[in-house]
Amino acid sequence: MELILFYVFAVTVVGGGIGVVASRNPVASLMFMVVSLASVAGIYVLLEAHFLAAIQVMVYAGAIMVLFLFVIMLLNLGHDYRDDLVRGLYAVCAFVVSGAICGILATRFGGAETSALYESFPGAAAMDLELAERGAVSLIARPLFQEYVVPFEITGILLLVAVVGAVALAKKRV
Amino acid sequence: MDLGNVASLSLFYPEIVLAGTILVLTILDLVVANKRAMAYLGLAGCLVALGATVDLYGTEPTLLFHRMVALDNFSLFFKVVTLAALVGAIWMSIGSGEVRQVHLGEYYIVLLTCGFGMFFMASANNLLMAYLGLELVSLTSYILTGMLPHNRRSAEAALKYLIYGGVASGTMIYGMSWVFGMAGSLDYATINAAMAEGGGNQIALFMAFVFILAGFGYKMAFAPFHMWSPDVYQGAPTPFTGFLSVASNAAGVAILIRFFYPAVSTLGQEGAWAFQALPALQWTDLLVALSIITMTWGNLSALNQRNVKRLLAYSGIAHAGYIMMGLVVLNNDGLNAMLFYVVVYLIMNLGAFLVVMIVANATGREDMDAYRGLAWRGAAFPAVCMMVFLASLTGLPPMAGFIGKLLLVAAIIEGQFYVLAVVAMINTVVSLYYYWRIVKTMFLDEPAPEDGPVAATASAMPLLGALMVLTIVLGVYWAPLLDYTTGSLGFFMP
Repeated sequence: MELILFYVFAVTVVGGGIGVVASRNPVASLMFMVVSLASVAGIYVLLEAHFLAAIQVMVYAGAIMVLFLFVIMLLNLGHDYRDDLVRGLYAVCAFVVSGAICGILATRFGGAETSALYESFPGAAAMDLELAERGAVSLIARPLFQEYVVPFEITGILLLVAVVGAVALAKKRV
Repeated sequence: MDLGNVASLSLFYPEIVLAGTILVLTILDLVVANKRAMAYLGLAGCLVALGATVDLYGTEPTLLFHRMVALDNFSLFFKVVTLAALVGAIWMSIGSGEVRQVHLGEYYIVLLTCGFGMFFMASANNLLMAYLGLELVSLTSYILTGMLPHNRRSAEAALKYLIYGGVASGTMIYGMSWVFGMAGSLDYATINAAMAEGGGNQIALFMAFVFILAGFGYKMAFAPFHMWSPDVYQGAPTPFTGFLSVASNAAGVAILIRFFYPAVSTLGQEGAWAFQALPALQWTDLLVALSIITMTWGNLSALNQRNVKRLLAYSGIAHAGYIMMGLVVLNNDGLNAMLFYVVVYLIMNLGAFLVVMIVANATGREDMDAYRGLAWRGAAFPAVCMMVFLASLTGLPPMAGFIGKLLLVAAIIEGQFYVLAVVAMINTVVSLYYYWRIVKTMFLDEPAPEDGPVAATASAMPLLGALMVLTIVLGVYWAPLLDYTTGSLGFFMP
């Protein structure tokens, strides 16, 4: 059952990804992206990461997608994109390179090596224990505000300056 | 030493001063009508932070904030370089006619934040921190590039920069995710330990490193990630172009050395580094090829440029190639030469952009014709200074650039990379042509009747004089700087 569900979600993730690239209308692309991101949330549920799944739906499939939609509508990118796509030798090169990367990923990370990696992952057992003891929210919140508090604050400055800059760029009169 | 969050704060005060200045400026911008005061406040904040950084120099290497940030002489060196570039850029901005058109408050806030991000690029000890630092610098750079109002070129440059930057940082973070997958951690020390155990597949690791190199290389502007640089240099306000050309390059060098040396290599006898992650693959060959392509491409493209800012952009690409030479020898001599060159490049390139700004202030133009007979049009001092900076950029004695290039070439000859050394020499000769074409235009060409007198911007003169004196003095008496860079190679070793 779980395996079947996994394949269903996996196919929708990849299918959604192909849809993003293949569809001509940016808004349709965006909708495919929502499908893809929501299916990732489904995979998170299968991995018993319910909190992460909820966050995935709220933040990615929800908020960020709405932002994308706003930008596309504001920029009025309704027109057909076929002329902008690169064809010929470049497309062949792109396919070859991404195929090669895909192959390396599949042979090196797929199958047996992954589980060995999981066994050797230092925090895996400790993480399971803590997850059972304290729950997922605490497991994410504690590192976020302890070990990762500086990156967290730096992100705050990053967002602040992005807002300041966006306002400065948008208001043209000095 | 490995400190927690609160204990780290006592060793973190340069960053705190700078972040405090940024926040104070953000609030003051709302109430202060005289935006000029913002520049002086920003300058004061940078100087205080500079004093604090120099004060910390020589502290025992320490990891701060649960191993996120490394405090060692290496990071402090790059913080000093960044702050020096910030001070220079703010000083330039005060006298710049271009900057007067922009929203001054926001301009200084974003400029200081750009420097703040470079602090973290130099001191990150964790891939997440490195990425955040790089992104902080990138975002602020896009904003500053596009800040000139009603200027199509500036807007176009910002958009191009944004797109190239987005692709580069996306590629980089993808490579980082591979490293994370193979090492099981973002922490440099853990990555190093995993590499030492032979963790990870060679080919996959090589690809991951190439992806990461793309992100770092885009900051340094080396080929083939340099496409943004000419348009951005031309479109951005000149003081920011000067800052970007030297500080972004320095921060790229810092993050590159920090990742590829202490993080994934081990230091052996007599300052020789073993690149332990990829014993089976010829990593240095890739770096040699990149270096050769970068310097040759930059120099050849510079030959036909009529716009001086574009010309300096291509020269910057060529210099990124020269600096890369220090990487390939995999020892401390090479790194030392890189650090030395970063400082020298800071001085001479900032000076060259200062002269570009002075000419643009007076004539409103940046093309070569604006420099016709500059020395005879009332701007003899800037013209002479420009000659000094260009001679130094070419690498002619007795300028500082000569010593910098000499150290780099000496390091690669000692490492027996003869082809690279010969290519560097040929490139120096090529660069002589386009640098001295500017000198010829300034001194030997007769000014046309329509070329008016050039009034030199008074506030920029002390900075210009100081940079010129430094360029000459460091070319004759470089020992103190060399001692400083040698002392700055103290890394926090995992």
